[in-house]
Amino acid sequence: MPVKKQIRMVADLNKCLGCHTCTMACKTMWTDRNKGQMHMYWNNVETRPGKGYPQDWELQGGWFNVTDKRSIPLPGISESYGAPWEYNYEEVMKSNGGDSRASILVPRPRPSGNAYASNWDEDVGGGTFPNSYYFYLPRICNHCTDPPCVDACPRQAVYKREEDGIVLVDQKRCRGYRYCVKGCPYKKIYYNPEEKIAQKCIFCYPRIEQHKGNFCATQCVGRIHYVGFAEDPESAAYKLVNKWKVALRLHPEFKTEPNVFYIPPLSPPAYTAEGRLTEKMRIPIELLAKLFGDTQDQTPDQRIARIEEIFGIIQAERNKVRSGGHSELIDILIPHSERDRIQV
Amino acid sequence: MDLSNKAIAKEPDKDKPIEPEPKKNAPAAPSTETLAARHDIARSLLERGARAAKHALALDLLEKVHEPVGEYPYRGWETLYREQWKYDSFGRTTHSINCTGSCTWKVYVRNNIAFKEEQYADYPDINPALPTYNPRGCQKGANYKEYVYGPQRVKYPLIRTGKRGEGKWRRASWDEAMSYIADRIVSAISDYGPDTVTFYSANPAKFLVSYAAGARLANLIGGVVCSFYEWVSDLPPGEPMTWGVQTDSCEAADWFNSKYILIWGSNLLETRIPDAHFVTAARMHGTKIVAIFPEYNPVSIHADIFIPVKPGTDGALALGMANVIVNEKLYDENYLKQFTDLPVLVRIDNGKFLRESDVVSGGETRNFYFRDESTGKPQLAPGTIGCQDRTLELGAINPSLEGTFMADTLTGKVEVTTVFSLLKKKLEDYDPASVSGITGVDAGLITLIAREFASTKPARIIAGAGVNHYYHNDLINRSMILLAALTGNVGIPGGGFDHYVGQEKFWCEEGFFKLAYPLGNTKQRFQPTTLWTYVHSNIEGDQEGRDLWPRPIGEYIRESVEKGWMPLYPGGTLDSGKTPRVLIVWGANYLNQAKGAEHILANLWPKLDLIVDIDFRMNTTGLYSDVILPSSSMFEKWDLSTTDLHSYITPLTPIIPPQLDSRTDWQIFLHLARALSDTKFSYTDTLPDGSKISRDFSTLENDFTSNGTLAQDKSAGQFILDNSVETKGMTMDMLDHQPGRYAATGEGWTSDIKKEEAYHAFQRMYELKLPLNTLTGRQQFYIDHDWFLREFHEELPVYKPPVDGTKYPLRFLTPHGRWSIHSLWRDAKYQLRLQRGYPIVYLNPDDAAARGLSDNDPVEIYNDNGTIIANLCISPRMPQGLAMMYQGWERYNFKKGGFQSPTTIRIKPTQLAGNYGQLKFKVNYWGPTGNQKDTRVEIRKFMEAE
Repeated sequence: MPVKKQIRMVADLNKCLGCHTCTMACKTMWTDRNKGQMHMYWNNVETRPGKGYPQDWELQGGWFNVTDKRSIPLPGISESYGAPWEYNYEEVMKSNGGDSRASILVPRPRPSGNAYASNWDEDVGGGTFPNSYYFYLPRICNHCTDPPCVDACPRQAVYKREEDGIVLVDQKRCRGYRYCVKGCPYKKIYYNPEEKIAQKCIFCYPRIEQHKGNFCATQCVGRIHYVGFAEDPESAAYKLVNKWKVALRLHPEFKTEPNVFYIPPLSPPAYTAEGRLTEKMRIPIELLAKLFGDTQDQTPDQRIARIEEIFGIIQAERNKVRSGGHSELIDILIPHSERDRIQV
Repeated sequence: MDLSNKAIAKEPDKDKPIEPEPKKNAPAAPSTETLAARHDIARSLLERGARAAKHALALDLLEKVHEPVGEYPYRGWETLYREQWKYDSFGRTTHSINCTGSCTWKVYVRNNIAFKEEQYADYPDINPALPTYNPRGCQKGANYKEYVYGPQRVKYPLIRTGKRGEGKWRRASWDEAMSYIADRIVSAISDYGPDTVTFYSANPAKFLVSYAAGARLANLIGGVVCSFYEWVSDLPPGEPMTWGVQTDSCEAADWFNSKYILIWGSNLLETRIPDAHFVTAARMHGTKIVAIFPEYNPVSIHADIFIPVKPGTDGALALGMANVIVNEKLYDENYLKQFTDLPVLVRIDNGKFLRESDVVSGGETRNFYFRDESTGKPQLAPGTIGCQDRTLELGAINPSLEGTFMADTLTGKVEVTTVFSLLKKKLEDYDPASVSGITGVDAGLITLIAREFASTKPARIIAGAGVNHYYHNDLINRSMILLAALTGNVGIPGGGFDHYVGQEKFWCEEGFFKLAYPLGNTKQRFQPTTLWTYVHSNIEGDQEGRDLWPRPIGEYIRESVEKGWMPLYPGGTLDSGKTPRVLIVWGANYLNQAKGAEHILANLWPKLDLIVDIDFRMNTTGLYSDVILPSSSMFEKWDLSTTDLHSYITPLTPIIPPQLDSRTDWQIFLHLARALSDTKFSYTDTLPDGSKISRDFSTLENDFTSNGTLAQDKSAGQFILDNSVETKGMTMDMLDHQPGRYAATGEGWTSDIKKEEAYHAFQRMYELKLPLNTLTGRQQFYIDHDWFLREFHEELPVYKPPVDGTKYPLRFLTPHGRWSIHSLWRDAKYQLRLQRGYPIVYLNPDDAAARGLSDNDPVEIYNDNGTIIANLCISPRMPQGLAMMYQGWERYNFKKGGFQSPTTIRIKPTQLAGNYGQLKFKVNYWGPTGNQKDTRVEIRKFMEAE
């Protein structure tokens, strides 16, 4: 049965600062309380191009897009999510007093060899200088309309709430089989090895129930997030997705109908080999089209055309405002208060 | 095994036994490894939760769910996370960390533990047409709690028992630590003089009361207070030189008013996280954003044009643009005539301004001339320092901007010209083709941005550390300011040259100064810290630096000190080799952040009989000091914070009591005053100006508290509010309720603050025609000081390349980054886990390949000054020839060295100049900068010794 209402979030990547305030807002609220949660970032921000978090998550597949479900790997903590390092503070700081020699603060386990962490390739990016390029991609659970984690769970401990479409793992019923971890092609469900259960983004439902925004959205200092219900045509999120059609899904070909949308990033133009400025944006549009689209059955060319269309709309509206005109789209993209972004 | 949904639904638990019940439904307490008290509370919460869980799960019959989408029946468990988000109370604070954020935060408390930080987001809006300031904050502010409860926290007073830096400490009582310090201060004063007792802290704006605490004690006992702003090279010397201000920049909201922005060496997206949205919003609003940086960075990714400039050549690029603007007559002629020195007459024979004293017997030396177009005669320029009439109104005068004329002087006719004519000639060297050769920027592109900048109003340059931490920062500043002035952008909303590094400028100056220096500023020994550190660390200048100066650097220092241009404490240093004896550092990490760190440890440190570090956190300075005193965290005290990025005063309030054995800075210095009172020491102090003060320590405690009225931190804060025009009528409690916007601006500002308008600089000059505090009373691009004219040829902005020679191939830049504010959060594990866990240095792939290096390799970064060992991060966002390490890592983050190990201090003599209009020493306003970007290194793989 479809849910009565579906929560949605739009992230405007043209305003993302890559500051990870969303990550920290989430981490310090929900997942800093026991050891088994240290590798989890229900919200993370990854640099693109890059391997993401967990490492190469896009290559691992999920319930609806892999025929041989047994072949789906389980991400390992240190090699995929990144070991949550501990540090030898007492040894170095001696803030209790004491007698040992000063030493070096080192992460344990030491990140050597093919080390990885949740943000390991921050700002590394691609291209060749001066035509280097990258952008930031913040990610939470997509609270999909067709959530594969729900189907994957043998205990039926994963469900979608009828009043807001938030997808949750029943923390009482879950026994830690991890099929949901495998089932999610976005790898947004995490296994807590201490508690031996799965945990995931809860879209801050205790807040949504009080008509307050989720922390990653309300604490976002870039003001990139728009949160509203899919059924509310007055919400900014609805207008961006349905009216102005400038927001796309991440990997719609995963066939889950994500409810987090992204406004794809513009980028400054590239230079010729002689150092002349061109008019061509430096992020290859094919790279963006691999990530973003509207629906699961769009062809790559259709996705490219849509992204170009969106860039055209944004630039046209910018120009309109620049020459003194008014634009509803730009008004939404420049939120003047939290109320303009968050309607829950 | 068939994993299809259907199969599993039938036999749910067959293949796996139900595992033993973990304590999973517990609403666990915030964080884990912390204080003992915290553990107890955590345990009780866990137990309570576990009991509840056991009860609820006594029966684990797995009922089938018919439809998990929309009709899930077992939702009782959802209380779990609702419980986790419950709190008993919340309070307001901010972070005194020199980040310029000054963001108001809400901290939630449960069971007396501060467990969650969220932006308060209640700054009153300035104007609905501007994007709001709410919410201000960043990922560091969202995780200050790690320090409040973490193992980095200094728990009680510690006194060193081993050698400095060896890490051997014993716990002391507050009384013992205070008498220990007081005795040594008294010995230093009686044996060597009060100017051997030195106080260093970084920046009042971030914590007005805490800063005032140490400064107040220094003022009362005769100690030396060190500057910070030019020492950390955040002072843009071009601003005092051109404008006669320390710095005056618009608040961030005014960026939104710009139509064209050159973001030039100011990595706003990493270093001004709470404010950067005004730029991304302006861009959506149609503003063209041009990012000028040597590397492709987070600002560049949101720019309309990214301009890769060779590092350190920014001044040339600015002059190239000026060349286009002047040649194509794109400048604002009327503006230049009224608001700049460009029409002022200069004698061709000696390069000096034509002064009234040249022309009229008994004339003022600080009055200057225009040539009036209509009469063809010299006319005194209004508004100069020597002029009674304080206005820039030209009246009937129409000054000539260009030309060569004859003028009558007391000694006969001399040929004169205008500053503009001299500038135009100078700019001929900077045609776009030549500048392209220097900067690597395409000549057509230089012309394009020059034309766009000049033709789009309002246009603004946002500059920062990226262009200010160079040896020739003053020239770079002046060249950029020139662009803003040529185009008539200085003084208008949305326009100008705005510089952001360091939280230098504080509102409430008047009240602060009264609190910090009760005997008055003029009775305070202030020390430009670069000079102090340079001399006392015996930095002679590196070999490559020798040809920087026509005369040996020591001669300039001696001339400056002897002429009284710059103070150098203790008095007699240059002749008798006197040295400082006591160093008290609070709310700063002097040793870790100091340029030339290796020289300081080797030479300055042994001269000091006592080093005290006051901090809530164990930092490098603490580890290398003699006494460490634990201060309260930012959740535990009343204080005030201000920034030039916004126009609100933001309080800190005690949300939880001081933890462990910590105390607030105000109480610590009060306690020290009491310990000094107990010594009953007294002496007669002769100040540098010759005046004498009789200092009786037996009344020190009373003097410190002003007879008890300032015994509490909150009353000290209230004193500042009461005594400042910005905050008159506000109370600490009102601010706790909601931060207020300033009502007015004091003299330190160049503009009035207006309701519904974002603050921007130089409105009083532009709108009210009030002169600036420069010799010529206007924006001054020509400086006819002898050193500038004769020895350095910098009377006008010129381009000079970085001064680091060619011995090492890679420029080494240590910019501010997103993950730390200087050394803060460099040791915070929740931050480190979102990086690579230890210090890294970025390098271009080709540079790495040429050295046989792979990503994450441990490498040595070295030059003649020192060596660092760090790990490599290879990225194509770096150009070749550039090694970049975000700064602030503590020495204990490195296997060897500190991030400043390859740096030294190079003093630029022109920044020691004085006795010239706007060029006169004032603390944090004018003095030599401790720049560090003129540094080159080589990198090689680090081989672990067998």
